[in-house]
Amino acid sequence: MSDLPDLRDHVRDDPTPRDAVVLIRGGPDAVEKLVAQAERVRTIFVLDGEPVLGISVYAALDDIGPASVDGILADKLVTYRVVHLVPLGELAGAGFTVLPTFRRPHMTVVLGGLDRVEPLLAALGPSQRNPHYGEEVRRRKGRLT
Amino acid sequence: MITVDIRADLNSEDQTGYVWTLLADARDPSLIKPGELVVAGDEDAPAVAVVVDLVEHPHGTIVHLDVVGTLDRFLALARRVVPAA
Repeated sequence: MSDLPDLRDHVRDDPTPRDAVVLIRGGPDAVEKLVAQAERVRTIFVLDGEPVLGISVYAALDDIGPASVDGILADKLVTYRVVHLVPLGELAGAGFTVLPTFRRPHMTVVLGGLDRVEPLLAALGPSQRNPHYGEEVRRRKGRLT
Repeated sequence: MITVDIRADLNSEDQTGYVWTLLADARDPSLIKPGELVVAGDEDAPAVAVVVDLVEHPHGTIVHLDVVGTLDRFLALARRVVPAA
């Protein structure tokens, strides 16, 4: 029995997103960055009681609003000059499990091992310019409950 | 080359809705106090953030960050400040 919080307790009861849903991650990414973050996740979480390596992404679940592509780029990822965008179906097709974790539209890509970092980086593809980079950030003050 | 105060993946939120990282990733942990402005992220994507809180965890200390803007915006602000004569 682990003494660490279980990521499963933070999986949302959301409808399964369509394969065409775009996943977005601030970049540019690199193997070292993905390994470092996956290790941070393993330090503080487990999944179903077992060690877990995870990488955060945001899913463009809506056409408009904060969970749309533009909404995510202009808020969650506004401090990133470049981003990676990949359809959910591509990651799933490459064998990755993507869980809807914490607050919508956050998702966690679960890695079966650190040997899956390079395939994930390849699946994320080249970085693209964030057209909303540097716009005003909406403070999250008061979100703690 | 920018050296951040605390390395963080600014994509990563937890149940609080804030970005989280570990105090072990701070270059000087004494800088990381609630209410302090810090440069967080990495050398490719630094951002200015307010330290929200530090939460003890069995395997370290979690730092919650409220990202408030790009470093560029804050540097531009600093350049606009003209000391009074």
